[in-house]
Amino acid sequence: MRRKSFSRREVLAGVGAGLAAAVVPACSGADSGRSGALQVWGGVPAASGPADVVKAFQAKFPQYKVNYTRFVNDDRGNLKLDTALQGGVDIDVYFTYSQAAMALRAGSGLAADLTDRVRADPDLQVFLDTEQPRSYIDNGKVKALATAREPFFVLFNEKLRQQAGVELPQSWTIEEFRATARKLTTDKTVGTYTLPDVARIALGPNYWYDGNRSNFGDPHFEQGFRLGREMIAEGTAFPWTEVLSRHLDAYQQNSFLGAEFHLWSTAPFNLRYLYDAKKYPHDFKVAFAPPPTVDGQNWNGGSYSNFIMVNPKSPKFEAAWAFVKFWLTEGATPMLKGGKMPALGNVTDEQIVSGMLGKEPDKYFDLDSFRRVVLASDPKLATDTRLTGFPEISLAMKQQRDLCWLGEKDPGVAIREVRRLADAAIARNERRP
Amino acid sequence: MATATVVAAGTEARTAKGPGIRPSGWIGFLFIAPNLLGVAAFTLIPLISVVVLAFTDWNLVSGLGGITFNGIDNFVAIARDPGFWHAVGLTLVYVAVSVPLTVVLGLALAIALNRPLPGRAVLRAIFFLPYIVNVVAIGMTWLMLMNPKAGLVNQVLDAFGVQPGWFASSHWALPALIVMAVWGGVGYCSLIYLSALQDAPRQLYEAADIDGASAWAKFRVITWPALLPTTVFLLVTMIIGASQGFGLIALITAGGPGDATTTISYYMYQTGFQFYRFGYASAIGLVTFVGVLVLTLVTWRAQRGRALND
Repeated sequence: MRRKSFSRREVLAGVGAGLAAAVVPACSGADSGRSGALQVWGGVPAASGPADVVKAFQAKFPQYKVNYTRFVNDDRGNLKLDTALQGGVDIDVYFTYSQAAMALRAGSGLAADLTDRVRADPDLQVFLDTEQPRSYIDNGKVKALATAREPFFVLFNEKLRQQAGVELPQSWTIEEFRATARKLTTDKTVGTYTLPDVARIALGPNYWYDGNRSNFGDPHFEQGFRLGREMIAEGTAFPWTEVLSRHLDAYQQNSFLGAEFHLWSTAPFNLRYLYDAKKYPHDFKVAFAPPPTVDGQNWNGGSYSNFIMVNPKSPKFEAAWAFVKFWLTEGATPMLKGGKMPALGNVTDEQIVSGMLGKEPDKYFDLDSFRRVVLASDPKLATDTRLTGFPEISLAMKQQRDLCWLGEKDPGVAIREVRRLADAAIARNERRP
Repeated sequence: MATATVVAAGTEARTAKGPGIRPSGWIGFLFIAPNLLGVAAFTLIPLISVVVLAFTDWNLVSGLGGITFNGIDNFVAIARDPGFWHAVGLTLVYVAVSVPLTVVLGLALAIALNRPLPGRAVLRAIFFLPYIVNVVAIGMTWLMLMNPKAGLVNQVLDAFGVQPGWFASSHWALPALIVMAVWGGVGYCSLIYLSALQDAPRQLYEAADIDGASAWAKFRVITWPALLPTTVFLLVTMIIGASQGFGLIALITAGGPGDATTTISYYMYQTGFQFYRFGYASAIGLVTFVGVLVLTLVTWRAQRGRALND
């Protein structure tokens, strides 16, 4: 006999099963959604270099096809990558840009062990160096390889420099940097945007840490806060009220192009704004000076960066490794246009000039100083390897620096607050399993 | 007696049908299944997850296998966390100032617009506009208006010798956000009040006019009690909304300068999405939920028995 009705329980069970049937496949998608192509996720827009790297790779290895997916390299973009990696989304190779994210990913089983591959390859031995590391080594295992080298330098607006009659320094101290900023300050142009990281120059890598505590008791941190505050107060550094209210941290290039300030302590990735006068109009050349020294120390504020990693869940490890090696050794030239100098240094000077400085390098750059500061020098890059509580300490530094440079907090009080917060963050994170 | 009959009849009808659902009934469930799916995926599962995660230490990146249950450790840590209590204090100030101000100004605007005015419909639309404009557009516009050096607001205030630093001052950043919140909410409040004013009993106003009542007396005795349920609705929804305020803070101040605008929602975001302490962030979410619930219940109970129809 045919049933004429369903019990409530049966109906709810049916709906529940339907929901589960719909939700579960959507959530899993581990291997079911895998494609034949190698999936690469990076933060650089495809048009700024990665698309050309992929094209060259596919030309050399026609048996492999590569899909490049761009994620925005901010909190939300990185969270998207993390959830995708955890959720089993089809990702074979991915990039990590912040040290804190790298420690989390490498320590959480999201990065394949590349040690044997690196050891076996004579071209890649430099990645085993622990003095000035170009790789991220987690418990003795190589988990990530830097693809880019990003040294800091100080840019001069040549037109304004010549008007002010200031010498282009080939080496200088932080005190001379301040004096130069003072000479370059006019009623229309501020001497410098801000000053280089004094403590980083003096202390080098892992400068936030001292044993199992923070290192903010070192006087160079307070010196940096105090110097910045004094320069803002005397009008030789950009007013911090303007920096915050105009969100200039993300848009400082516009103020430099508009000649609102003169000296710009920055890295190669910002050169892309300076060779395209149609898109970023300006009528001056730019010259290069090395970062100033502090107490005779000359650590560069830049680092090896843009780390490439392989997803350990990738079923295409051989293809993934072929792509990683290609990017590191012969494929990185197209990335120069986005200001990414290859970590292995395996490009000629002329390739760097034409790649990083655009089609008319003479028109927008002082090439002599570029060759001297960027090509001929061998700066001591400070890549951090200690990362306990890194995001918390970064936030504490930013918050207290803002209050100090707004003139609301004394530099000594501000740095002591950073120290307190950093010590707490280190202790809390070291307690975690 | 009549009520008893209806109840009895209802019971009888249900008994005749039995406890089950007719075949045509489950078709109804299929119709709402897509909606149920949405609620389950975007509300129910996240809600349950937050409750479970609140009792764990989890960084998300380590996957489900990396979840470590830690009992009430997160709640103990919250009780001792000065950053959390600072954020609670800021949130209370933000709610306590922005919500009443928005409601009062919304009411005043509604009363003004309830009179026959030329272009009244256009004025209503203009005042309601901020409520529907994209938060990014609002944020960018106010950022320019409140620029300490070149902004229009400070150029006007300069005439009075006042030059607030707004978003570039730890003293003025929260007031600036409150100004924006009030500006954005007044139009919405006035629209809700306007519809409530249409329902206010005309005969009571006529009777009051005959008795020679003043405008203030009519407002106090007729209008305000008639609007009380609407006011409570607005207060409750706006308290909930203000305590969850996030968009403008993330866009404009990122919790700064210092931690001057790190309200509880932004603190939760920092803890979860910047520090990857998802267990602790979930616990903050749970504590915030209870706090907002209590605040809502207090508001709701405070008005019971005072409305015109009670």
